[in-house]
Amino acid sequence: MFNSQAKFGSTESANLSVTEKMIVCIAVVGHQNNPLYIQSFTEADDALKLHHIVHCSLDVVDERVNNPKKSGPMLNETFLGLLYPTENYKVYGYLTNTKVKFILVTTDLDVRDADVRNFFRRFHSAYLDAVSNPFHVPGKKITSKTFAERVSTIVKSFSFNTTG
Amino acid sequence: MENYTEALRTPPVTLVSIVGHQDLHATISTHLHSQQPPINTLALPDFSKISVIAKNTKENENPLPAGYTSSGILKRDWLMKHRTRVPAVVAALFDSDQLSGDPAQWLQVCTDLENLKAVIRGRNIKLLVVVVVRFNSKDSITEDRMIALRKRAELDAKYVITFIPDDASELNQSLNRLGNTFAELAVTFYRDEGRRVKMRLEKKNYGSIEYNIRYCFKVAIYAEFRRDWVEALRMYEDGYHALREMIGTSTRLPAVQRLVEIKMVAEQFHFKISTLLLHGGKIVEAIKWFRQHDASYKKLTGPPEVSFLHWDWLSRQFLVFAELLESSNPTMQNNSSPTLSVADRTSSVWEFYAAYYYQFAAQFLKEKKTSIEIALSMSDASSETDDTSDSVVPSLYVGQFVRLLELGDTSVMQLITDEVYIRFALAEGKRSRDSIKITGLLKKSYEAYHNLKAQRAAAFCMLLMAKEYFASSEYSNAKNHFDKLTSLYRQEGWVTLLWEVLGYLRECSRKLGSAQDFIAYSLEMAALPVSSITSLQSLKDCGPAGSPSLQQVEIIHKEVFAIVREESGVILNEENMDMKVNSDHPLHLEIDLVSPLRVVLLTSVAFHEQIVKPHAPTLITLSLLSQLPSPIEIDQLEIQFNQSECNFIIVNAQRPRSSAISHIHPDRRVETVPILELSTNKWLRLTYNIKSVNSGKLECTYVIARIGPHFSICCGAESPANMHDLPLWKFEDRFEASPTKDPAIAFSGMKVTQVEEPDPQVELKLGSVGPALVGENFLLPVTLTSKGHSVHSGELKINLVDTRGVGLLSPREAELSSNDNLHVELLGVSGAETEDDSQGANDSIRKIHHSFGLVSVPFLNVGDSWSCNLEIRWHRPKPIMLYVSLGYSPNSGANKVHVHKSLQIEGKTPVVISHRLMLPFRRDPLLLSRIKRTPDSGQTASLPVNETSILVVSATNCTEVPLRLLSMSIEPEDDVTPKNTCTIQSGVHDFDNPTLLVPGEEFKKVFSVKPESNVSKLNMGSVCLRWRRDHRSSKPVLTKQILPDVKVEFPPLIVSLECPPHGVLGEPFTYFARIHNQTKLLQEVKFSLSDSQSFVLSGPHNNTTFVLPLSEHILSYKLVPLSSGSLQLPRVTITSVRYSAGFQPTLAASTIFVFPSKPQFQLTDTETEKNSVVAEQIPA
Repeated sequence: MFNSQAKFGSTESANLSVTEKMIVCIAVVGHQNNPLYIQSFTEADDALKLHHIVHCSLDVVDERVNNPKKSGPMLNETFLGLLYPTENYKVYGYLTNTKVKFILVTTDLDVRDADVRNFFRRFHSAYLDAVSNPFHVPGKKITSKTFAERVSTIVKSFSFNTTG
Repeated sequence: MENYTEALRTPPVTLVSIVGHQDLHATISTHLHSQQPPINTLALPDFSKISVIAKNTKENENPLPAGYTSSGILKRDWLMKHRTRVPAVVAALFDSDQLSGDPAQWLQVCTDLENLKAVIRGRNIKLLVVVVVRFNSKDSITEDRMIALRKRAELDAKYVITFIPDDASELNQSLNRLGNTFAELAVTFYRDEGRRVKMRLEKKNYGSIEYNIRYCFKVAIYAEFRRDWVEALRMYEDGYHALREMIGTSTRLPAVQRLVEIKMVAEQFHFKISTLLLHGGKIVEAIKWFRQHDASYKKLTGPPEVSFLHWDWLSRQFLVFAELLESSNPTMQNNSSPTLSVADRTSSVWEFYAAYYYQFAAQFLKEKKTSIEIALSMSDASSETDDTSDSVVPSLYVGQFVRLLELGDTSVMQLITDEVYIRFALAEGKRSRDSIKITGLLKKSYEAYHNLKAQRAAAFCMLLMAKEYFASSEYSNAKNHFDKLTSLYRQEGWVTLLWEVLGYLRECSRKLGSAQDFIAYSLEMAALPVSSITSLQSLKDCGPAGSPSLQQVEIIHKEVFAIVREESGVILNEENMDMKVNSDHPLHLEIDLVSPLRVVLLTSVAFHEQIVKPHAPTLITLSLLSQLPSPIEIDQLEIQFNQSECNFIIVNAQRPRSSAISHIHPDRRVETVPILELSTNKWLRLTYNIKSVNSGKLECTYVIARIGPHFSICCGAESPANMHDLPLWKFEDRFEASPTKDPAIAFSGMKVTQVEEPDPQVELKLGSVGPALVGENFLLPVTLTSKGHSVHSGELKINLVDTRGVGLLSPREAELSSNDNLHVELLGVSGAETEDDSQGANDSIRKIHHSFGLVSVPFLNVGDSWSCNLEIRWHRPKPIMLYVSLGYSPNSGANKVHVHKSLQIEGKTPVVISHRLMLPFRRDPLLLSRIKRTPDSGQTASLPVNETSILVVSATNCTEVPLRLLSMSIEPEDDVTPKNTCTIQSGVHDFDNPTLLVPGEEFKKVFSVKPESNVSKLNMGSVCLRWRRDHRSSKPVLTKQILPDVKVEFPPLIVSLECPPHGVLGEPFTYFARIHNQTKLLQEVKFSLSDSQSFVLSGPHNNTTFVLPLSEHILSYKLVPLSSGSLQLPRVTITSVRYSAGFQPTLAASTIFVFPSKPQFQLTDTETEKNSVVAEQIPA
């Protein structure tokens, strides 16, 4: 009887099982909390929702940055940890020395911190290479195709690592 | 939380019952209720009512229907029953009279007790017997009766208690005793009950899993009655877990209803657990529990046609948890900080805030709304049979529904099939007003986020709220909410989010029929930087505007321009019918510095020169930039200035003259350009000549672009120098050109230029006559000569300024300080040589104030001149700057023209007056102060009293011009009368004709001073020198200088030497030294005489002698000169022993001229004789 339940499950949960355990969105956010780069990796039509999630999670980053005492041991650490739990996603944050924020949205609800840290480290170096381009103007959106390709490689390898 | 009954929401309260002795019920109930923990009382007036607590009453009321075989998990009213109907303890109250009275009464007591025991036995309710005794008949009951009673009641002695109501202290004691016994018995009851049920659990002595859950619930409730929260929590959790296991295994009810029941029960368990955790301060645990609860039930959506029930349920879970969190907020505040750091990795801060749960409650309610709409649309066909669900009611069990069948007098409950249930649930669901609930929840969430200063999350809630309004067609409400969001998204450059909101706003404006807003939003959307988003991915589900893409942007662009151009060829769809721009509805958009529409049209205006001459042409560059996706053609541009004479219009030659141009001012300048088209992100630069008319500021204020006959955009002009970045576009990686080709203008160009005033054509001359002299009224001629302008309402401003740049004195300071402090003063303006002097005098000098003057100048025709003299007086020598400025209008009413002139004038001291005091020749009074004087301390000279001294005053001309001295005198100070103290006589009388004093020359005058009384300080007055410049017109000036005070002393001894004015070789003469003793003391005097080779002398040479008081001692010598020429007399040295003061005549005093033979003098003129006397008195 209850086997049929799964069949009746909503389309969303069905989608979830397909896209499970992967990064669905990655964003670079500038000083004025403006998006410098935002890319979602999802087949579904909910990219805009992800934009909203990234935008809302900036509130948490702000709070962490403004009240450093609350996060105690995390002082001086670039990795901000879990920012924002939503029903189907987890949002992680990373703050560079130049106060540029990286936001990661994943559907993997029990991802390990170490994996995320590792991901951010690789992403950070990709970002550094992108902004070191002499033709890049600081504070402007990142339009480099190489960067996009590199990011998608990192994202894919992340999914592979954690699922495998 | 309001969904739950009161019984579930509040912790259970012990219930006891009292029977009999109705008059005491109120007292007892009040007391029990106020106890800690409180006890509720079920008061039964007499023993006939005891059946209400009997066990089988309820079953009789609601007989189970025949087909009602299935049972549920929890009975709906079980908790209620225990809180209101089943007491833990029953107390029977008997009066002592009943016990000690006649046998009939005792029999009644026994019967009542038996009945009561029969009733409570089934429920294991504890019994308590209370004997009410009057205070004064305390001992009336016999021990036998009490024992009998106890036996009847089958109770321990301590459960038969006496109660004394008519004495205050005894009553209090009785009440306390009663309360304690009640509490003790109640705890025993609930423990026993709990233990009994638990026993069954432990022995697994239950028929089905339902019983297991029910028993868990009961044990937990009993534990709660006992306030054993730990036990209660454990049992609730056990029950909850058992329930969760039931999902896969139970087959009791039809599938849908089964799930509904389980969820309902789970909800109650969860609620209890959460409440207990939160009230125990274990927030982290509560949140973890909630997360687990959510995870285990989230996917149990059930069949799609009833998924709305699931969403409704889920939404309620979040809502209730949010409310619980909020109500336990005060305790949370204290605990949150330590717990947070522990929980940091696994949970986020947000989970501690109610806002988060409200938001999800709303989100799930929204899901419910969607699914109910789907379910309704599917079940539309079968809606005729709705009546079957009418009689569906909640059954005895939590989460179950049955059909109530009316069979005559009795009603029968019948189980229902899933189809009926679904219909019932749909009908229920249709009635609820989800939309309002959703917005209510979102509003709560928004406020909570807002208070947390989480503006973005708050904005997201606002967006959801607005979308909900939009979905329920409340467009103006929706528009208000959407509007509030735009600023945040604009500011942070979230183009995608802004696109979505603008799309909704555009749609709202369309629905509301506001063409202005519609066009404004459409233009903003069209000018958004979407290209960078679209290059990355395509976004869907972006609201009514569709996904942001270049095509979409171009569609919007075209649509807007079709409307504003009023193109008839474009087929407006029905929705756009209201969006008309025509002669009845002209449209005017304004773009200012902060408008989001700056991306649509940005105008930068720069003058090429910062300062221009009036009527001289200057260049102005007008640059326009648009970020609209397609080129736009502008029909005409109107450029407006603050000086409206400069306004001009640029017309696009390609466009036929539209109607708007017809009503422009006829003498307005019109420029025509072949084409006026703006391409995306490309400056359109137009440079024109412009001539200013008036002097002052010339600023370009607005540029109005007209597109189509009735549409215009009024754009505030911006200076390229301080132009802000375009919002949103500033983050784009794009080429940014400067508004003007000339980089200098692009960097520093301003939309403002200064128009100078026309060149003055009036000459202002300051006649300079060299340095001014202190004390005189210095006249400075000022001449105005008109050389091409007539002077209207001219005004002359005069200002005296210290050359060091500091104002001599500001007018305010001048008022404060007295005139003495003023070094240079403007006395007035005189000699305005106008026709009518009398009137002009009043009129022309308007204001003269020490260092500032304002003089009005009469009307002057071309070629006329006017002059006046400035009268300035120096009190001290000081150089100053004189500033004279003339302001006038070339013709009446025109702007003022100013001429400035300045001149530095030196103020100089005309004469330096010095003086010398001298003693008479060869007469030396002994002034004791001179002997004692230390070298530095003597500034004040001393004069001997009653002796004539000589004062020589000299005046030196230190100017560069010759001066004429008119007189020199010594005038006493006003407050001193010198007659009494001294007489000052001048040697010569005032000169008849003034003496000419050429530069550098010194003039001397001799006065004799004779102090007449012995005052310590003698004021000799001041020297008054009257002089004038050496030309006729100048006026005499009086220069005064105060002479310093002198000391007057009484000389005890006066030595005077007497000798003839000259000697002749070989002829003897006498030489006396007179020593005059003025004191009344005998003075011992030593004297000695040194020999001289030039003379032969006779007289005392060396001796000590005494001078008698007030008498004179004369040393006389006879001398014969041995050679001729200027010879040194033998020097006499006189020493006063008393004053130890020695005297030796000066060289001059002891020099004599000896002629070789007797000279022959021709003394005929008395005048020269007199002069020679004077000359004699002055030593060379």
